[in-house]
This record gives sequence, C-alpha cells and structure tokens, in this order.
Amino acid sequence: MPRTKRFSMEQKKARWGWIFVTPSLVFFAVFSFYPIFNAFYLSFFRKNLLSLKPPAFIGFGNYTYLFSSPLFKESVVNTAIFTFGTFVPLLVLSLILAAFIMSRKRFQKFYQMVLYSPAALSSVVAAMIWLLIFDPRGLANQGLNLLFSTSGVNYHWLSNDTMLRLSTIIVYVWKYVGYFTVIFVAGIGAIPNTLHEAALIDGADRWQDFWHITFPLLKPTTLLVSVMAMIQCLKTFSTQYLFTTAGAPRQPINVLTLNIYYTAIKDHSIGRASAMSVLLFLVMLVFTWLQLRLSRTEEVTYM
Amino acid sequence: MKRLSCLLVLALVMSLSLGAHAAKVIEITYWTHTDDNRTTIENKYIAEFEKMYPDVKVKRVVNEASKMGDLVLTAFSANRGPDLFNLPIEQEYGYIMQNRVSPVDYAAIGYKNADALKADYMKGTFEAVTKGGKIYGLPLELTNWCIYINKKIFRSAGLDPEKDYPRTWEQMADISEKLVIRNGDIIMRRGFDFRYPYYLVSLLPMVEQLGGQLISDDGKKAIVNDQAWLKVLKFMKEWGPHGRNLGSPTYPAPRKIWNKDNNDMAMCLSGFYQQGRLRIDNPAFFDSKEWMVVPFPKFKDAVKDVACSYYGHFLMVNAQSSKDKQEMAWKLAQYMLSHPMEYLEVVNIIIPRKDMLSSKEFKANPYMDVFMGDMDRGHSVFLHENGYQFERFIGDAVQAVMLSNVSEQQALATLRQRIQEVLDEQ
Repeated sequence: MPRTKRFSMEQKKARWGWIFVTPSLVFFAVFSFYPIFNAFYLSFFRKNLLSLKPPAFIGFGNYTYLFSSPLFKESVVNTAIFTFGTFVPLLVLSLILAAFIMSRKRFQKFYQMVLYSPAALSSVVAAMIWLLIFDPRGLANQGLNLLFSTSGVNYHWLSNDTMLRLSTIIVYVWKYVGYFTVIFVAGIGAIPNTLHEAALIDGADRWQDFWHITFPLLKPTTLLVSVMAMIQCLKTFSTQYLFTTAGAPRQPINVLTLNIYYTAIKDHSIGRASAMSVLLFLVMLVFTWLQLRLSRTEEVTYM
Repeated sequence: MKRLSCLLVLALVMSLSLGAHAAKVIEITYWTHTDDNRTTIENKYIAEFEKMYPDVKVKRVVNEASKMGDLVLTAFSANRGPDLFNLPIEQEYGYIMQNRVSPVDYAAIGYKNADALKADYMKGTFEAVTKGGKIYGLPLELTNWCIYINKKIFRSAGLDPEKDYPRTWEQMADISEKLVIRNGDIIMRRGFDFRYPYYLVSLLPMVEQLGGQLISDDGKKAIVNDQAWLKVLKFMKEWGPHGRNLGSPTYPAPRKIWNKDNNDMAMCLSGFYQQGRLRIDNPAFFDSKEWMVVPFPKFKDAVKDVACSYYGHFLMVNAQSSKDKQEMAWKLAQYMLSHPMEYLEVVNIIIPRKDMLSSKEFKANPYMDVFMGDMDRGHSVFLHENGYQFERFIGDAVQAVMLSNVSEQQALATLRQRIQEVLDEQ
C-alpha cells in the first residue's frame, strides 16, 4: 500500500508561503541581486561598454583610481551637501506638516492628498516644471523681486553654485515632503488617544502634548523617515541630470549617480562606473544597517 | 485510426513547410530618431523595398533623439543591437573603433569598390567613417551651422541687417550689446547666444581660428596654443553674466525661440534644417522674408579661416547581424538614400550626393550658398573615442568662467589636466 506523506498545517502554510514568495524572489534575483553581484564583479575589471574584447582584470585598480580622482571627490562632496541639505528640511517639514494635518478636524485626507501629489509625479516632469520656475525670467526671480521690492534682480537659480545646489534641494523637498508627511501621519495616528487624553487631564496644553507625548513616541518613525530620506537623497539623479542638460553647470551638482551615468554611458567605462556604484551601495548599506540597529533599540510598544 | 494518422502527418508536413517558409523571411530592425517628416517618406520607401524584396520585413523603430544614443549603446552592450541604425557621428565613431559595425557591402549597393562610392558623394563625406581603407556608413545627413538673423529685430535697434550683420566675433558681441534688452540683470531679448552643449561643433572652431587645438597631432598632448584657448575663454566670460551679460546657458535654447519671432532672440546658430522647422512652426515668418542667413564669424585676428564644423548622421549596420541581414540592411539604406531630393524638400536635410548638390533645384534653396560656402571653410567635427568626455570637460571650463567667475587661466589648467589624464590613460 503506497504511503502518502501527510503535511502538518504549519508545513502546508509554509509551502504556500514559498509559492507566494517565489515570484518576488525570482524578480529580485533577476533585477536586483544579479545586477548587484555583476557590478561587484565588473568593478575589478577594465571594460569598455562597447568592446567585444573580454574585460581585463585589474584588481582594485578602479577603486585606487577613484580615491585619487578629483572628479570622484567632487561627486562625493556634492552628494554629501545635497543629502544633508535635503534630508534635514525634509524631516523637519514633513513632521511639522504631519502635526498640522493631525491637528485638523476636517480635510485630513485632502491635505495628505495635496501634499503627496508631487511624489506621484515623474521626476522628469517635476524637474521640467521647476526649470521653468527657475528660468531667469521665471516665477522664482519674479517672486523674490516682488518680496524684496526690487526690479530685475537675477538670483541665478541655475547658474550660481550655491543657488543651483539650493534649487535642486528645493525640487527634492517639494517632491518628497508629502511622501514622508504621510509616514509621519501614520506614526502619529498609531499613538493611542488615551495618552493624549491623560496628558490633557493632567493640564498639558497642545504644545506640551506634542513635545512630551507625540514627539518622543514618534522616535521610531522619525528614525525610519530620516534613514529613508537619506537613502533617497543619496540616489538622486533625475533633477541633477535634467538641470545640467538644460544648461546649468555640472560641477556644483555632479552627484555620484550623475558621475556614474556619465562614466558608464557617455565614457563607456563600465568597470569604473561599477566601482562607484559599489561604493555608493556600501554607504547605503551602512545607513540601512544603522536604521535596523537603531530601530530595534528605539522600539515603542503600547500596553 | 489510419485517417487520423494521415491527417497528423499532413499537418506536420504543412507546418514544417510553413516553418521553412517563415525561416526564409529576413526581418531587419531599423532604429532611428524622431522626425515626423522623415518618418513619412521612409515608411513609404520601406513599403516599396518590401515589395521589391518580398522575403524582407523591416521593423522601423523610432526613439526620442535625446535618448537614442543611450538606447543603442545599451542594446549593443547586451549584444542585441539593431541591424540598421543612425546616430550622430561623434557617437558612431566609438562603434567603428570597437568593430561593432560592418563595412559597407559595396556589391550589395551596386558599387565596385570604396572609390566608386566616394565618387558619387561630396569630397570628404566619408572621412569620419573610414578606418583601414574601409567605409563604415552611408550619410543620412551632413549638417553645418550658420547664423540665422531676424531682420525686424535688427531694424528695431537701428541696424541694417544687410550691412551690419556680424563678420567677426568682436562685432557679434558689439552688435548683441545693441540688440539686447534687459530688465535689470535679466535679459528679456538676446542679440545672439551660443549652442552651449555642442562645444566640439561650434566652440572648438573658434579656438582653431586663433591657431589652437584640443590635442596635438600625435594625440599625446592636451591643449595646443594656450593663448588661443585663453582668448576664447575670456570671450565667453565676457559674454556671460559676470561680463557684458549678453547670454548664458541657462536661458532657453536660442534656435527654439528664434522661430517664434517673439522679439526675444535676434540671431541663432543653426543648420539648413532650421528652415524646415520654421516653415512648420511659423509659416508667416518663414514666408515674410524677414530673416536671412550669414556665415559663421571669425575672430578679428584669426590666423585660420575656420567655419563651424560639420557633423553627420550615418546609417550603419550591426556587425553581429547575420550576413544576409547585413546585405539586406545595406540595400535598404542605399534604397532610402537614393532619394536625396525628397529628403531635402520634405525633411530639409542634406545627403551630400554630387548629383543633388550640383542640381539647380538644390542651389535654388534659400541661403544654400551660405551653407555650402561654410562647408568649404569648415571641416568634420573633432572625432575621438573619448570625444564626449572632452566635450563635457570643455563645457565645464566654459561654464566655470561664464557662470562661476573662475579665471580663464584656472579653467584652462583644469581642462588640460582632465584631458591629459584621459590621453595618458590610453
């Protein structure tokens, strides 16, 4: 008599779990893990993207070149300026906006939708809109001239080094502030009302309630948002790319991703571009590890 | 049962024969950039070609011009490049150097050899696509830029366009000063402005006018004749917001707004194709005779008379395509290009075939003499495997002096160091 193998309920669940997860795993393996491993591999070779010759192994040659390259250093500095210049206002503004939305009795969803809408917009479209605004004859100059009661002052949004960096930061904050606001809204919404009610009974005003109840309990969300924002900023590309193709100088906004693109696609040096990608990946990996580690220590549970 | 078996065998034989027939069909993939006028005539030629060769199917894929280079490169790097394609020659040069494209199949296109092919085209047409005596592309267009002038704007500034148009770069700056209208620092109307990203086509000839070169003849030394470079960089600095404030790369592209005749752009640098676009964008202005074309200026103390460089798009065939596909792709390219007059009339691009260039119809086109005169004064755009990298470095130098107020000496030192590093690495 043939023996039929009997699975326990747990095993059956696990089997179905694998069936559901497998397509995603295959997708990630093909479109994420393979390119990552391939980039690691290629970073040790000299390879022209167009050449049919096999890549030449050069060990850490690409890495040693990068660490002595002024252009690479320039990209690292630009990326750092952009990342820190963007993630701080992103974090502060999204927290303020989330607190504002949660303090409203009506139209909470509407405010979220309005703020979130730029995030749904393609980065290319967003950059194009802002290019028109930052045009010397555009709204940005007109607005500041109106504000300062001046006439015809060109604030060089797309040409002066500092203003150009500020312009890219403005575009990014505008585009992603709604996205992080929604995360903060969810975080604030998860704090039990009983805590706020207890604080109010104890005589706390709204400001004290925010600083002593909401803000400390939002630590995990704040951490999550700050790391997510930082990683997002490190990956910035479209804004800088479109601004430079529209005539803005490359040097002040030549971030790592832009440098990777030019090195691989325009200069055909895929080995060197892979080495840059690996370094960027490692930086992001460190931030992710930090997030996971810190979020474990900052976990908040409501009994 | 027997009947069923017979039916199965019959079906198998039929499917095999159909399969054999299908295998005979040669599908050629042709990638090109967007141009509605060209699409219309090329679709017609493709239909005619497919009629002439019933076993050939052509798949014409249109890509955005700005993305075309990246798409073709990505496809080739994955060994999935199209059978036939066109790109600007500066990009195609790398494909020739890396043996990714096949030499022209002279027999397939009805020529005995390379010399016979060259004999049908303008002198120098194939210089950019020749390696080891073999020709690697057929010219879809050859373009050079001259100065388009809006006569009304000239007159509004008290200038006579026929007499006062700029012959030298010094005059160009002075005349632009008369034409420019500003609201404070903000330019509302420009006299002239450059085509900033295309430094190899239009800025390098300015350096050459003064005796400078990007790299030495032996290809080992970056920047020849510092004085020539410094003068051009100084000129650009003076042109920008830290100098006479006549223009800047951050204002809209001149040739796009010139067509609108909105009193915001008096002169722009563009090719013969601008007329075709003007005819579509602004037919009233096109017919008004209120515009004219003049030659590319030179510096007052120029040591060489060099006009804007000409560049081209060449049809090329993937070296990895099968032999029969390569042969048919060359035949298709040749068939399409055998209608140069239609390309000129409908698309406003010049296929430099001698029979067309010497025709009355060609010469009757507005300002064709100016374009052809400058073609004689100029040469093919600077070509190098790292050409795009060099162009970017020149762009950085120009932007540094114009927008970041860096000194010409410092910008030139950085430019030299960057280009030399690339040359040394080779």
